[in-house]
Amino acid sequence: MDLAIKDVQHHLGKFLATIAGVGLLFMIVLVMDGIYRGNIADGLWMINNTPADLWVVERFRGGPFNEQSRLTEDSYRSIAATPGVAAASPYITYTVERRMVARKSQQFTIVGYDIFGELGAPTTIVSGRTIRRAHYELVADQKLGLALGQQVHLGVHDYTVVGLTKGAVDTAGNPIIYLSLHDAQEVLYQQDNEALYAQRDSDLRRLRAAGLSYEQAYRLVPVVSSHTNTINAVLVRLSPGANPDKVARQIQDWLYFNVYTPQQESELMLKGRIERMTAMLNIFRSLLIVISTIIIALIIYVLTAEKIRSIATLKLIGASNWIIVRLVLEQAVMLTVSSFACAYPLAMNLRDKLPRTLVFFPSDILITLLVMLIGGVLASLLAIWVALKTPPSLALGG
Amino acid sequence: MDVLRVDGLNKVYGSGELAVTALEDISFRVKRGELMALLGPSGSGKSTLLLCISLILEPTSGVIAMHGQEVYRNAWTGIDLSRFRRENIGFIFQGHNLIPFLTARDNIVLPMYLTGLGQRRARPRAQELLDYLGIGHRAHALPALLSGGEQQRVAIGRALANEPPLILADEPTASLDTARGMTVMELLKKLAKERNSVVIAVTHDERMVAGFDTVYRLKDGRLEVT
Repeated sequence: MDLAIKDVQHHLGKFLATIAGVGLLFMIVLVMDGIYRGNIADGLWMINNTPADLWVVERFRGGPFNEQSRLTEDSYRSIAATPGVAAASPYITYTVERRMVARKSQQFTIVGYDIFGELGAPTTIVSGRTIRRAHYELVADQKLGLALGQQVHLGVHDYTVVGLTKGAVDTAGNPIIYLSLHDAQEVLYQQDNEALYAQRDSDLRRLRAAGLSYEQAYRLVPVVSSHTNTINAVLVRLSPGANPDKVARQIQDWLYFNVYTPQQESELMLKGRIERMTAMLNIFRSLLIVISTIIIALIIYVLTAEKIRSIATLKLIGASNWIIVRLVLEQAVMLTVSSFACAYPLAMNLRDKLPRTLVFFPSDILITLLVMLIGGVLASLLAIWVALKTPPSLALGG
Repeated sequence: MDVLRVDGLNKVYGSGELAVTALEDISFRVKRGELMALLGPSGSGKSTLLLCISLILEPTSGVIAMHGQEVYRNAWTGIDLSRFRRENIGFIFQGHNLIPFLTARDNIVLPMYLTGLGQRRARPRAQELLDYLGIGHRAHALPALLSGGEQQRVAIGRALANEPPLILADEPTASLDTARGMTVMELLKKLAKERNSVVIAVTHDERMVAGFDTVYRLKDGRLEVT
């Protein structure tokens, strides 16, 4: 005879309602697990999905993701000429705050790469193709809701969607739009005609104020005006057998840039941009587990308090302490396991429905279940203590 | 042989100037098949005596022996009290105290389960007891769906489940009307005679003890035979 199951059967409605409540709480814990891992996965996605052996960025900068990095476009040529370098390719990455895309105001990141080189191109195309024309084509991630052939207005031009990727996200989980390098530079840096006129007027006035004649100033305006041939990084592929450290030192010392291996770039990301976020998620995750344990403790305590006279009767008619402990403990474990069984499919269902990427590792899920179970057992200790403390004499009298 | 022997039992609560004597030099013996009633007003020490002979409350001094085995001699004699209780004493309570989440039959199976008897043997025996008590048709009903009289019969069935030599009934008729109370008392008398058990009933209602073999009256912690 299993007293715990008999009691649960008797209070099935109440037990199911409790499972639903605790299950939702556990679901939040699991989703937090997923967000935590997703945050790391998003943070490292661009690094892991760009087939570069070295990332070359502006001197004394931790770019291109953690810190702003600006290089002149033609710097990749001198890097390409460094011994041990098989290929070097210019690269731009820029987060666009908000634009109307697919009739929605969306945040995304533009990646510009040399379409005739091999580095920086989209790696997860699920339909369509890569960019083949130098201008006015783009590859977008499915998350943006664009269709192949659709026209997207960016900067001062319209671009045609020629390919769609899956899961291509920036460090914050925003979808990526891939453009040819020069298109990306135009979208990012080129102003429209009115802004250009205003900029030129301003430059002209500054040069005139410096004492130049109108003609001298007019001829110098194109030289001092901002230009679009700026990049954020150079991606390097090493020759077979080349020593990455040696090549990196060569580029750092002779060309005066900062160079990172993908592993160093990942470390920069983990220790820099996403460190606080992951720490916060971890704190919330831990807090939620503590809260869940407290809630289970209260529920088990109330369930035990409700049957305290039955427990006294059991003790009086000779039930051993183990029978009493089992009654309480079994219910705590049943509540924890059932709530987790409820939470797991809910969390898995939410995987593609939340704006942030959720990543679930079986090991994380197992650890969470174990922690919850330990929490459930700990939670039952208060109720067990109360049950064991109950005097059998409580069963006597009115 | 005496089923229960109590010699010079004392119980004092507190110590020094605050000491309160609840039981003073209580002695009695009961034999198989004997019906004993303990009468007394509130505060007379009935509950304390019941708790002591239930092996729940430790007396201050004296002797309690069951089936010739001393379980208390100025201290517990080292026996497993829970085990001794479930094998030797059946309890009937004032408020029935049935386990609300167990059916009538499972409530009777419970003491047998606690002694390690398997369901296969316990269930037919429980059904047999329910039939004996005249409520066999209510075997699958939960306590909440039983009348007060039916609940008390189930409680009696539970007390009889392990065929204990001693049955302690604490105000068994207090929550029943007079007619149902008399029926329960008749049932207790019947099972004492038929099953050769000792029944000790604590009550404050003198009408209920007609036909009992021995009637003791407790007054200020002292026992008087009436």
